[in-house]
Amino acid sequence: MLKQWLRSWRGGELGLLCIALSLAVASVSGIAGFSERLQATMATQSRTFLAADHVLTSPRPIEPQWLDNARSEGLRTAQLVAFRTMVYASEEMLLVSMRAASASYPLRGELRAAKQMFADGEGVEHGPLAGEVWLDSRAMATLGITLGQTVEVGEKALVATRVLVDEPDRSSALNIYGPRGLMNLEDLGATEVVQPGSVVDYRYLFAGDDAAFAAYRQTLSASLLPGQKWLNIEDNQPALASALARAEEYLLLAASLTLALAGAAIALAAQRYGQRNIDAVALMKTLGASRRYILLHYLRQLLLVLLLASVLGGLVGVAVQYLLFVSLSDLVSATPPAGSLRPLWMAIVSAALCLLCFAMPPIVRLSRVSPVHVLRRDESLEGGVRLATAAGAAGLGLLMYWYSGDLSLVIALMLGCSVLLVAAAGVVLMALTGIRRLSRRLPGSVQRLAVSSIYRRRYANAFQTASIALALMVLVSLLLLRELLLKDWQQQVAEDTPNYFLINIADRDVEPLEAFLAERRIHHAGLYPMVRGRLVEIDNMPLQDIEGLETRNTGVDRELNLSWSEALPEDNQLIAGQWWSQAAEPLQTNPVSVEQELAQRLNITVGTALRFNVGGRDLTATVASLRQLDWASMRPNFYFLFPEDALRSYAGSYITSFYLDDSQRPLLVDLLGRYPTVSLIEIGAVLKQVQGVVAQLSRALAVVLLLVLVSALLISAANVMLSFQTRKQENALLRTLGARNRFLFAVVIGEFALLGALAGAVAGLGANFCLFFIQRWVMQSEVLLYWAAIPLASVAGAGILALLVLTSSQKMLRSSATVLLRGA
Amino acid sequence: MIKVEKLSKTVPSGDGELRILKGIDLEIKAGQSAAIVGPSGSGKSTLLGLLAGLDSPSEGDVLLQGQSLASMSEDQRAALRARSVGFVFQSFQLLPSLTALENVMLPLELAGMEAPRQRASTLLEELELGHRQHHYPRLLSGGEQQRVAIARAFASEPAILFADEPTGNLDAKTGAHITELLFSLNRDKGTTLVLVTHEQGLADHCERVFEMYDGELSELPRQRPC
Repeated sequence: MLKQWLRSWRGGELGLLCIALSLAVASVSGIAGFSERLQATMATQSRTFLAADHVLTSPRPIEPQWLDNARSEGLRTAQLVAFRTMVYASEEMLLVSMRAASASYPLRGELRAAKQMFADGEGVEHGPLAGEVWLDSRAMATLGITLGQTVEVGEKALVATRVLVDEPDRSSALNIYGPRGLMNLEDLGATEVVQPGSVVDYRYLFAGDDAAFAAYRQTLSASLLPGQKWLNIEDNQPALASALARAEEYLLLAASLTLALAGAAIALAAQRYGQRNIDAVALMKTLGASRRYILLHYLRQLLLVLLLASVLGGLVGVAVQYLLFVSLSDLVSATPPAGSLRPLWMAIVSAALCLLCFAMPPIVRLSRVSPVHVLRRDESLEGGVRLATAAGAAGLGLLMYWYSGDLSLVIALMLGCSVLLVAAAGVVLMALTGIRRLSRRLPGSVQRLAVSSIYRRRYANAFQTASIALALMVLVSLLLLRELLLKDWQQQVAEDTPNYFLINIADRDVEPLEAFLAERRIHHAGLYPMVRGRLVEIDNMPLQDIEGLETRNTGVDRELNLSWSEALPEDNQLIAGQWWSQAAEPLQTNPVSVEQELAQRLNITVGTALRFNVGGRDLTATVASLRQLDWASMRPNFYFLFPEDALRSYAGSYITSFYLDDSQRPLLVDLLGRYPTVSLIEIGAVLKQVQGVVAQLSRALAVVLLLVLVSALLISAANVMLSFQTRKQENALLRTLGARNRFLFAVVIGEFALLGALAGAVAGLGANFCLFFIQRWVMQSEVLLYWAAIPLASVAGAGILALLVLTSSQKMLRSSATVLLRGA
Repeated sequence: MIKVEKLSKTVPSGDGELRILKGIDLEIKAGQSAAIVGPSGSGKSTLLGLLAGLDSPSEGDVLLQGQSLASMSEDQRAALRARSVGFVFQSFQLLPSLTALENVMLPLELAGMEAPRQRASTLLEELELGHRQHHYPRLLSGGEQQRVAIARAFASEPAILFADEPTGNLDAKTGAHITELLFSLNRDKGTTLVLVTHEQGLADHCERVFEMYDGELSELPRQRPC
């Protein structure tokens, strides 16, 4: 049997079958394995943002018994108390967002502290000891102290021993933008700052075995009081996690599509394999082989292929995982957990299913070949296309659902593919009929021969062209999608995007601060006034009474930043209405300009009356215009803008943003020392992280694109190979009739280039269709289409197939013409 | 017209080499008809392939119209065939993707002749296939297919026509009709005809008959003139 297997291998189709299967195994095990490890890494990172696995927040202390219970369940615990307090140095005082932590804090993630101000610092094992306090650079600069000096927190004197740089759960502080401090929980009582009525947030941190925690949470659920709640990892997913989640979706999508393409290649290779084995089967039957014997015989051969493909594909899959992790190495900073064998099993089961659905139909048909074929050679396996397509589609749908668990995504993909297949077949048939009619009037046998040869096999060609079109469509879709994602990400992070915000700038500080920045050649985004106010009524209707308006989702359930400007800000775009300084006639009293997306959510149009509550005073205004903003510009942006005199009388402060490179950072000590009431927000680190995400994700996507490209080439190769048998005979005849090599090349290349061009055009069209669907319903973003992809894909399709034929048809063209004399 | 000098063909075989043709000499003059007969596996088809330049000999040379095939490249041999050689096969070998007319036009176009459509059409009319011109080979009977193949072989008015068992796949009556057609065209056009056959009846039509046996060729004495 092995001998026969090897002979089939030399025939080419088993080799192709094996490559296609290996590719399926590699892409599924590689991508699924990567995705599994990425998820584990992300869960670890998410826990880092909580500083624990689970957190219970409470406005008052919980029963100490609860913590004892947790420890007896085998869970580790830590406590945090967050409050705001004045901190006194010898001459200065400052309102600090302070947290008192127990010795075991943090349970997850890393606490960072430094020995000098505005330094990056290093990871430390535990927080401050009793009698110590760690303050951040901003607090130390404002208080004018250095390390080793004493400050007073309430009634307790504490020594500043380190500069606080970062806490894993920093975002849980009461005021994340203000000055921060960390002290030991043991000192909290002595400070006497926590009194009845103080605004205090108690956090209880837990880490340990998931099952133990689930049991513990169950026992506690009945005892929880209002205001006490559990924080989930999902609540703490930062933007980075959602970017990675999207990349993961993209990867799984790519894995499914690679599988679909590999499946098509498997189907084509199996079809040819079956075709070439008709004679052998007829002979075996003549010699007395049963159908069962033949089925088992070929099943064994396919199993051997599966075995080989599992080993090869598994190895390549490990390489793919490695490549993906290397390209994302800075992003997923935690060491990836060891991979399990599950992705490999998943891949082998997928490959087996692929083989069953795609390769079995021709084999089953093969087993039905009549023994009479040895006498009358007129059997063909063609015509089993419908069965193969149905089996293949069913298998693929099942696999895709298994991977993604997202039925709508699977339906969308399958629908897209079916539409493409039918459309491709239709377009190819119509085009061929037209071209065939045209070619009859043309002189020159090359064109006629190329066209008529395609035309004769037009139904098979329609299917093959559709499969190439599918491969190209996937490639074009992924390319366009990648382009879209990159553009989207890159727009958000230009090189000189501001990385610092200054808020709480008092009226009197505006001019000196501008001078300070100008003196040091720091370009700022402009100083904008800011008044805190709450939107209370729309068209005289209180917000809570407006039907269907979810204030929580629209973001108006909190105090908003209102601002004024005489001129339309630089990167704002007027969508509707008129801007006051440009209006031909004076506008009605108290005009206001509203950001358009918010306006849409609140159902606000030009002319709507709004009422705000600003520091207990009423402010009424009429919407005069709607503006479009670029929120990603990192410049101060506002939902509501008023003319200057409308807000002047309300107490407010100013805001600005600017870009500072690393070498200019010491400036900040000076700035904060001079303007102690100003709050500094550093977003540089976040921006850098986002820039890293963009660069690395695009590298990871390139790895996946490579897999898709290989599968597209495989399909094309399978197609070319499938037609070689008939072509061999035809070429031998043409050569006998006196056709030269150039002529034969021209015919075969012309034929495939035409098919490639048709496939490309259909693929371009299909990719736009897919893109529309994905943007509209999956990504829910603005729909951008690329019609230029149609001619480009058409040229690429013609080129790819012509090149493939050029490199692989040499042997076929060289085959001796004497085959005709031997009755082959 | 056709001259063969010490032609040998050796192919590698399981344990050594197999000599299929063993130093064959042959000369056929323009306009003559010759049959090559012999048992299966004696090397008839191999000789025909070498005569037409479809394959290369291990030793010796074939001269067609005084031109040595050994000194020509594959493309040059193809060009010579397009100009001067016609072929008829046992299994017809029509291109299934082309109509009867297009199949006949093909060699005319390959040889770069003028008005290929008209010539092909006239030839098919002559062979009483005018009404079948636009039919594909699969719609034609065996006899009709072989007539189209004969039309294709004579279309470019070749100086030499090679036929490989031209009646082998046909019933006796159709075979006789095809034989008659082949020889009448051969007479009318003055073509040199070389055919390989098992059938004594067909061989008897030829002016000269050669027998191939174990790779060696010998001319048989004629029983009666062609």
